[in-house]
Amino acid sequence: MLSQLQTLVREVDGRYATDTELLFLQNYLQTARLRFSAYQKIQKAEKDIIRQVKQKLKATNPKLLRRGKVDFSAKWQRDAVSGLRFCAHALLVADEEGLEENFLLWFQSVMRSFKAQKSCDITYKAMQDIVRQYLTPQEAELFCPILAQARLLLGQ
Amino acid sequence: MDTPSVRAHTLRQKYPQKHNHYNFADFFQFNESEGTIADWNGSRNILTSEDFIIGLLEGLEEEVGAASAAVMYSIGVEWGKQDSLFFDQWFEREYKVSPQQANLMFLLETWWWPFTAQGWGRWEIDMADRQQGFMFINLFDSAVARTLGDVGKPVCYLYAGLYAGFFTEMVRKQLSCIEIQCYSMGETYCKFLLGAKERIDAAAFWLNEGATAIDIEKRLRSGEPLS
Repeated sequence: MLSQLQTLVREVDGRYATDTELLFLQNYLQTARLRFSAYQKIQKAEKDIIRQVKQKLKATNPKLLRRGKVDFSAKWQRDAVSGLRFCAHALLVADEEGLEENFLLWFQSVMRSFKAQKSCDITYKAMQDIVRQYLTPQEAELFCPILAQARLLLGQ
Repeated sequence: MDTPSVRAHTLRQKYPQKHNHYNFADFFQFNESEGTIADWNGSRNILTSEDFIIGLLEGLEEEVGAASAAVMYSIGVEWGKQDSLFFDQWFEREYKVSPQQANLMFLLETWWWPFTAQGWGRWEIDMADRQQGFMFINLFDSAVARTLGDVGKPVCYLYAGLYAGFFTEMVRKQLSCIEIQCYSMGETYCKFLLGAKERIDAAAFWLNEGATAIDIEKRLRSGEPLS
């Protein structure tokens, strides 16, 4: 929405916007309440969500958080919290485009540098399942595609 | 394009811990009163058009003929060497760790991100042959090749020089680089080979003889004699 709003401001210069150009804003207003409530629920449940994702990751493949003798749990946790927050922010302002440009593309290069695609794939898949416990089906319908976008870019 | 430091980026001063700062609005700072553009790392940037790139390359060719390729390469080498020193400073300032202690791939990706933000294209490094003393770099959306279009020959000498200069400074060992596949030859992306001079000279010879990038990769990987 923010990216689209910037485009709107740029393009609608000295004239009134058309109905088609305003469609995204109407769509946003229709879902705004859901976005706010989902955002607040995610914020409240962040610790639990991350804990459950971590458990799932360990159950799927305990070696993913360890390389040799080095334990990457703390690093994983920091990255997962950060990823969840960026995704929640994208949900709040309905800006998947901005999420990709501002965070995911950069983070993808970082994750690839550390060969962490596999753990990202499982992390963001598990996150999609786990956040459903905290959100209504309508809220999850808005948020899970964003997590799927993160999984797609970071997991390969 | 960027030139040495102008002044600090106010957003960076406010959020020094922010690493994902490569979108247009965050990365560049337009200092309107001075008529300058600074980037996140304090380097001065200049916006140029495709006409400028064409003018630069054609003007140079008119002045020095075929040597223009070597001139662009040399400019790239100097740029890469200087940028390596500049990079060391901002990497350590931003990540609080020296480049020598950082994960190599992370270090290289971090080096290239400002170039991506500036419009030089995205890259992909293939270090599978690093132990053998060479590596490949794939460049997507080269600003030079994209501007010149399909001219039937490699044109990204500036990039080849930039990679040679940067890596030479980084590993403290004389390295050369050659573009073995270019968007301007009708390919979908550009490919560079980086390695010791004798290896790059051999690749240049094979390329002149009509070898493709795939041929060169095969020859190098099979350990074919260089002369």
